[in-house]
Amino acid sequence: MAKITFNHAGGDVDVLEVEPGTSLMRAAVTNGVAGIVGECGGQAMCATCHVYVREEYLDALPEISDDEDEMLDCTVEERTDRSRLGCQVTVGEGLDAVEVDLPESQV
Amino acid sequence: MSVQAEARPVPTADWVTIEDLHRDPFPIYRRMREEAPVHWVPAVNRYMVTSYEACHIIENDQEIYSANETNSLMKRAMGHSMLRKDDPEHDVDRKSYGSVLRPKAIKETWNAIFQANSDKYLARLKAAGPGADLIWEYAAPYAAENLRLIMGFHNATQEDLQRWSQTMINGTGNYADDPEVWAASEKSYNEVDDAIDEILPYLLKNPDNSLLSGLAGMPIPMEAIRANMKMTIGGGLNEPRDVLGVAVWALLSNPEQLAQVLADPSLFPAVFEESVRWVAPIGMYPREVTRDTVLEGMALPRGARLGVVVGAANRDPKVFEDPEVFDINRPKKPHLAFGGGNHYCAGAWVAKASVAGIALPQLFAELPSLRLDPGHPAVDAGWVFRGMTELPVLWDRK
Repeated sequence: MAKITFNHAGGDVDVLEVEPGTSLMRAAVTNGVAGIVGECGGQAMCATCHVYVREEYLDALPEISDDEDEMLDCTVEERTDRSRLGCQVTVGEGLDAVEVDLPESQV
Repeated sequence: MSVQAEARPVPTADWVTIEDLHRDPFPIYRRMREEAPVHWVPAVNRYMVTSYEACHIIENDQEIYSANETNSLMKRAMGHSMLRKDDPEHDVDRKSYGSVLRPKAIKETWNAIFQANSDKYLARLKAAGPGADLIWEYAAPYAAENLRLIMGFHNATQEDLQRWSQTMINGTGNYADDPEVWAASEKSYNEVDDAIDEILPYLLKNPDNSLLSGLAGMPIPMEAIRANMKMTIGGGLNEPRDVLGVAVWALLSNPEQLAQVLADPSLFPAVFEESVRWVAPIGMYPREVTRDTVLEGMALPRGARLGVVVGAANRDPKVFEDPEVFDINRPKKPHLAFGGGNHYCAGAWVAKASVAGIALPQLFAELPSLRLDPGHPAVDAGWVFRGMTELPVLWDRK
C-alpha cells in the first residue's frame, strides 16, 4: 500500500493508504476527501484536482505533460512551482508516500 | 438481510407530464427531490434521478451505470458517438479530438475567431435595432458560426449548423416518439454525412486547426467520426447559445447583480457558472444500469433506464443554499452542468471562452442600458435541453 497525506487549507489532515497505481485525485474522490473535485475523471481537462506537492517529494514526480501544463494555468488558486494535477500523480513504484497541500478552492 | 431488502422501493411519479416538464421542470424536480432521489416516471418511460448525490455517483461509475444505452434515442438520431460509449472504447474517440478544444488552442486560434464572429453578429443585432431578439439575431448565429469553424465545415453555413443541431437534438429528446421529429432528424443526419464526406479530402490537402482536419488523417473508423461530429453539432451549439441567453436574461432580471457585474467585468465567469448551475442547458442525459444495484438507498434492477437529471441536481438544497435563486455571489460549489467523470464536456473551455470571455462582456459594453422589453416578455422552455426561446431586448442607441 502507498500513503497519501492531504493537508487541507483549514489545517485538517486526511491520510489514506491506497493500492499502488492510484492517482491522488482518484484516491481523494473515492474516499470522500473534500478539497479535490476531479470533475473530468482524470483526463487533465478540468483543473479541479489541483494540489501543492511538498518539496521533499517533487523530485520523485513524473514530468509535467503539455496537457497538464496547460491545465495548471487554468486553476482557480495560484499556480506555484509545487503545483500539480492530482489526476496526473500516481503513487506506487518510486513514490510509496507523498504529502500535498490542498488549495482553498478548486472551482 | 440482503442489500436489496434494505433498499427503499422506487416511487412512481405518474403526475409528471412532458408538457409540464417542457414549460417549467423546476417545481416538478423540487417535489420529486423532496420525496425520493429516484422516481419511475411513466410519461418519460424511465427512472429519473434528481438528487445531487445520486447523479454524482452515477457519473463516476461507468461499470454499473453504462452510457452505452440500449435503444438509445441519441444513437438513432446521431449514430453511436463517444457520448454513448464506455471506456476503453470511449477513450479512443475522446483522444481523437486531440488538443482542438483545449485552452491553449483557444488562446492561440479560436479566441480571435470568436471575437470576429461576435463583432459580426453584434452588428447584426444592432442593425435589427431595439426590440430585436437577442437569441436569434446574436446568440444562435454566434454559437453556430464559432462551432462551424472549430469543426471545419467550410462547405456549410452557420444556418446549416443551426438546422442540423436543432433537428438532431429534437430527435435525441424525442421521448414522445413523434414521427415528424424523426423525419427531420434523419434528413439532417444524411446532410451531415454528405458534408463530412465532401470536406475530409479538402482538409487532407488544406489542413487547419479544426476538429475535422485533425480527424482527417487519423485511423478512426468513419462511422465513429460521423457519429462524433453529429454529437458535437448537437452538443456544441445550442448549449453555448442557451447559457448566453439565460445569463443575459438572469442579469437583466436581477438589477443589483447586473450593476455589480457592470462595475466589475471580472465577474462574468461567475455569471457563466451560476447560469449553467441555475439552468443546465443539458438538463437530463441517459444511463443504463448493468446489474441489480442500490442507488442512494433506492433499489434499481439490471437494465433499468435512467435519466440523470443534472438540471435537478444543480438545485439540490443539500448542496446549494436557496437553490432556486440566481445568485452570482453564492459560495462556489461544483455543479454538474458539464457532466462529470470520463464524459465531462469536451467543449467546456470553448463555452467559457466564447460566452464569458467574449460575448457577455461585449454585449453589455456595446449595448447601453440593455434591458428586457416590457411589451414582449422573454420565454424560457425545455427540460432535456433548456434555454431561452425568445429574448426580445431594448437598449439605448448611442
